Amino acid sequence: MSILILLITLSVTSQENLYTSYTIPANLKEKANAVIRSDDVHISLKSSSEMYITKKRIVTVFNKGGNDDVDAYVYYDNNVKIKTLEALVFDNFGNEIKKIKKNSFKDVSAVDGGTLYSDSRVKYLEYTPIEYPYTIEFTSEVVNNNTAFIHSFIPINGYYVSVEKSTYTIEFPEDIIIRTKEKNFETLDLQKETLPGKIKYEVKNIQAVKPEEYSPAYVNMSPKVLVASKQFTLEGVHTQVENWNDFGKWMYHDLIKNTYDLPASTINMIQDLVKDEPNDVAKAKKIYQYVQDKTRYISVQVGIGGWKPFNASEVDKLGYGDCKALTNYTMSLLKAAGVKSNYTVVYAGKSQRSLEKDFAAMQGNHVILNIPQEDKEDIWLECTSQKLPFGFIGDFTDDRDVLVITPEGGKIQHTKKYKTEESVQQIKGNYSISNNGAIEAKVNINSKGIQYDDKYWLETETERDLDKHYKKRWGYINTIKISSMHITNNKETIEFVEDVSFQATNYSKKIGDRMLLTLNALNRNTDIPDRYRNRKHPLKIRRGFKDIDEVEIKLPQDYKVESKPNNKTIENKFGSYKSEVAVKDESTLVYKREFTINDGEFPKEDYEAFRAFYKEVNKQDNAKVALIKK
Amino acid sequence: MKITTILFSLCFTITAFAQDYKFGKISKEELEEKFNPLDSSASATYLYKNRRTFFQYKQGEGFSLITEIHERIKIYNQEGFDYATEQVNLHKSGSDNEEVNNIKAYTYNLLEGKVEETKLTKDGIFKTEKSKYFDEVKFTMPNIKEGSVVEFRYRISSPFYWNVDDFDFQYDIPVKKLDAKFEVPEYFVFKTNVKGFLPITPKTEKENDKITFTSKTRSGGNLNGAVRTTFNSSDVEFTKSISSYHLKDIPALKEEPYVNSINNYRSSIKYELSYTKFPQSTVNYYSTTWEDVVKTIYKSSNFGGELNKTSYYKDELDAIVGSISGPMERVALIFDFVKSRIKWNGYYGKYTSGGVKKAFKDQVGNVAEINLMLTSMLKYAGLNAYPVLVSTRRNGIPLFPTREGYNYVVSYVKLSDGYILLDATNKYSVPNVLPFRTLNWQGRVISDKGGSTLVDLYPKEKSKNNIFMMVTLNEDGSIKGGCRNIKTSHNALRYRERYNNVNKEDFIEKLENKHGGLEVSEFKVTNELNLSKPVKESFKFIKESQADIIGDKIYFSPMFFLKTAENPFKLENREFPVDFGYPSASRYQITISLPEGYKAESVPESVAYSMPDNLGLFKFNIINRGTSIQLLVDENINQSIILPMYYDALKEYFKQIIEKENEQIVLTRI
Repeated sequence: MSILILLITLSVTSQENLYTSYTIPANLKEKANAVIRSDDVHISLKSSSEMYITKKRIVTVFNKGGNDDVDAYVYYDNNVKIKTLEALVFDNFGNEIKKIKKNSFKDVSAVDGGTLYSDSRVKYLEYTPIEYPYTIEFTSEVVNNNTAFIHSFIPINGYYVSVEKSTYTIEFPEDIIIRTKEKNFETLDLQKETLPGKIKYEVKNIQAVKPEEYSPAYVNMSPKVLVASKQFTLEGVHTQVENWNDFGKWMYHDLIKNTYDLPASTINMIQDLVKDEPNDVAKAKKIYQYVQDKTRYISVQVGIGGWKPFNASEVDKLGYGDCKALTNYTMSLLKAAGVKSNYTVVYAGKSQRSLEKDFAAMQGNHVILNIPQEDKEDIWLECTSQKLPFGFIGDFTDDRDVLVITPEGGKIQHTKKYKTEESVQQIKGNYSISNNGAIEAKVNINSKGIQYDDKYWLETETERDLDKHYKKRWGYINTIKISSMHITNNKETIEFVEDVSFQATNYSKKIGDRMLLTLNALNRNTDIPDRYRNRKHPLKIRRGFKDIDEVEIKLPQDYKVESKPNNKTIENKFGSYKSEVAVKDESTLVYKREFTINDGEFPKEDYEAFRAFYKEVNKQDNAKVALIKK
Repeated sequence: MKITTILFSLCFTITAFAQDYKFGKISKEELEEKFNPLDSSASATYLYKNRRTFFQYKQGEGFSLITEIHERIKIYNQEGFDYATEQVNLHKSGSDNEEVNNIKAYTYNLLEGKVEETKLTKDGIFKTEKSKYFDEVKFTMPNIKEGSVVEFRYRISSPFYWNVDDFDFQYDIPVKKLDAKFEVPEYFVFKTNVKGFLPITPKTEKENDKITFTSKTRSGGNLNGAVRTTFNSSDVEFTKSISSYHLKDIPALKEEPYVNSINNYRSSIKYELSYTKFPQSTVNYYSTTWEDVVKTIYKSSNFGGELNKTSYYKDELDAIVGSISGPMERVALIFDFVKSRIKWNGYYGKYTSGGVKKAFKDQVGNVAEINLMLTSMLKYAGLNAYPVLVSTRRNGIPLFPTREGYNYVVSYVKLSDGYILLDATNKYSVPNVLPFRTLNWQGRVISDKGGSTLVDLYPKEKSKNNIFMMVTLNEDGSIKGGCRNIKTSHNALRYRERYNNVNKEDFIEKLENKHGGLEVSEFKVTNELNLSKPVKESFKFIKESQADIIGDKIYFSPMFFLKTAENPFKLENREFPVDFGYPSASRYQITISLPEGYKAESVPESVAYSMPDNLGLFKFNIINRGTSIQLLVDENINQSIILPMYYDALKEYFKQIIEKENEQIVLTRI
């Protein structure tokens, strides 16, 4: 049967070959839920304010997981007109079984849950496959008056999908200068053709990969070509930009500068507010607090408002705004107090994505504020949070390249990195074990640095949720009952302090005359990194941390130590682990533990060793003391 | 208990100071309040919530339904800021659409002892077309701070007068005072359905009202627009009945895990249109009893009408069923035919959308298209098959006769010795094993004449999971062995859904990582597509550090990585039933070979723990055979639903399981 089909398909033209799964090379089927058979993006810049984008994409889908790889959708708004939109569906023999026209695409607002309003909309294909595999050919053509964003060449954009062939062509008039930057094509054969007024890229055979823990972020690994035009238009505003300096200048002068229109009353009020503060940092702190108390994050995106902040007076009046508006508002208040600060564009998110240092173009998805400092690290402010301490940005915008915009121009700077030594969690605790194995524990936990970021939100949890949180945190203790919880959030020193007491029956297991006591009751590591038969990605530890525990243990009255675990020290490039048990007196032990993980990037071959380290830590954390009846 | 609560709240309200709930009359006390005295964990509170829904007649347009909303909300802290944003969904259908207008909204803050008010301006109101079926109007209040009070009112007019939004009385934040009113002209008769735990009784009264016509044309001016009349007066008098609700200090409704739908427990009243009776016109029934509901649904061309169509599948079905005469065989053939032929497009519904014919042709359909087609084919093949109306778990429990109460349909076949339920929307569903979403109380079987009976949707049969494990424990604490796992019913359904949809290597890695770095080899699954048999999974494994070696003794818990580690029920108290969906039974048969030169010095005691009223049973049996240890563990949950009165027993059941399964065996050298 399949031989017959193969013969048939071989005898027809190569173009039609793509509509059946039989012609997919075996290596592209591995780990793939779908295969992009061919993807042709054609961009035609008619001028710096008119751009045609034509796409034709043929995707063969093997299973449910691959349905999303069809990617049959188009965003549009007032500046984007959809000219063509069509999808054809083929069965596995390559027969066309359905045609979906423009009007049958679903049309919805492209607003996500966190946005109050946006004028962006999306048309997408909703198709229920009647069998797998199937193939979809999706074609679209749109014309866009904004040329500030030119589609990058992204041949692959996710896990479990492979690419047979992908091309990208951009055509442009002679007076327009196009810049490009190629990234992450080391293992691929990228073909590039450059002609006057035309650049073409082609890449073939990209194998599917699957996600792996402790990997670099997908966006930092995936192959792409960035494309930008020197001359461009954004919502009717024309400009010319070649480097980050130009870019910053343009943003400052065209989008930001004239939004500083605070009413005089507010300026007076701010000046009065900070008049007794000794220096700029103290003033800034006071103003940041003022903004946190006054405003909240609400996203509204209309037209140029997608890029240009609301006027400061608007935020002053409404008490809300998006990241641009709130950052800009804070900046204008600082300005009123004579403190210099800079609007800063960033890619937000845990993945620490950097702006391209050497490629100036519209980038980033978030805005924060930079307060320049002489002779020390700059201060960064997250203006959309009502909770973060002054100068604390957490994992949302830490440790990455960002664009700082000044009246003189833009420059790339690096945000605050939370180093291993400053991301410390210190536990001081004691617990006692009763003759029938029950535990009663009291613990004080102090968290700093990135570990502060993991916890600060607990401050505002309700008692019921907090109780649940601690029960989960010590989920390995059956029947745990939290008897008291007290939280101190010291925003001044950026320390988070938790005082918790709990009890549980049968913590220590009685076996005949003995009792087995797992020493590490308060901070057991239960996580082991996943195992991969064939690790593909490098090992990436984004943020380091250090845990220091010291716990005093009161043994049950009628028991004494029969044997105790040996002290243990492990040191390697990923971090270190140290545990020791000391006998303080006949009925008291002191357990000390230090566990450090360093940040860094290591070759994939190191992953197994990293995992083994965690496994060993796990084992040591479960070390038990054998007690015996006196 | 309930009486005391009511008494208490009565006393409380009498002693409380008089509050002014007129729009704009915000008191200083409201602004000064730092937390809700009855629930200090609340991030915000409805100080006042008022809704009035009534009918309005406009000549030439007919009746429309008007709803006026007035809310006053106190925001205590940042977590409550979300309540400063209001969202109104407006339905539309063809050229008819709902509208919202007269939006008026203010934020109040206390500024140095003075009340400062900020008005919401027009440009702060946003309308978005969400889809073909509804628009959304959203606004967020200006100048929100901790401690703010916001107040807004608006008016929605709707041409869809048969569709009255539920009157909800309970929210995820507390309500201090709530007034609601529903005014209905005599031409409309509504049925009320109350649910939830709050005692709710409306005050009802009658009032006279009239409609004045300005035009005197003969052909116009009647009430329902359709009936010809010679009525020529300018006033029409009628009575209207008014139901009003006045509640105070309503506690917040809080989510709990293992609840099928929190809405089942939300206190609310639903008004469902039973019939309309316009002057000089016949009665037009919507629904009043289950019989009416069923009749209305059945009579709909998108339901009953679809059952009678046979021509589109006739030839194909004849060819398939052919000479097969056994009823069970026929059911199986037809069920498989529909499952393989029509794919579910993910849409629920008791009514067909494009129709069964189109679904058959396109090979894609919604729930009603697939299961009504299935029922029709079964009937055609001579079986006693009927459609069953179902409310999915998320849709809540259909406590009252309403059309909206049901949102799904499955198929029922009566056999000489019992019955079977079928749902062809899921590839791995088998007779009497319906997808999890449908396991919700009772379904309504609709007979040919439009009568109905109830059928229990919760499975009677336990979903089983039988595990056989042979383990060799080594002296260094590592283990190796083989494991075989046999699953039936819902356990099998869930396994097939997970296993068949992913890459096999990934599946194995997930299995390994679920058990904390188990190393699996010779992994094999059988019957993953043969639904007539239980699905079987088997593999070999090795795992390190499964025993503690302390001194010259070895300690380990005999279920190793299979033991239950954490109690899923963490809340101290529970208000709502725990809903597992189906009863289940797990059985572990484990044989452990001890390392050479060792013997078991002590093993845990064998025990049994049973929940009251036979709701659950845990048995742990251990036999020391010298060089090996044999273990038999049974975990049974016998009911789909465990009532809150048994919550403590359920927690205890899990506690016992965890304690026992974590107990250790001690080995010493011989």
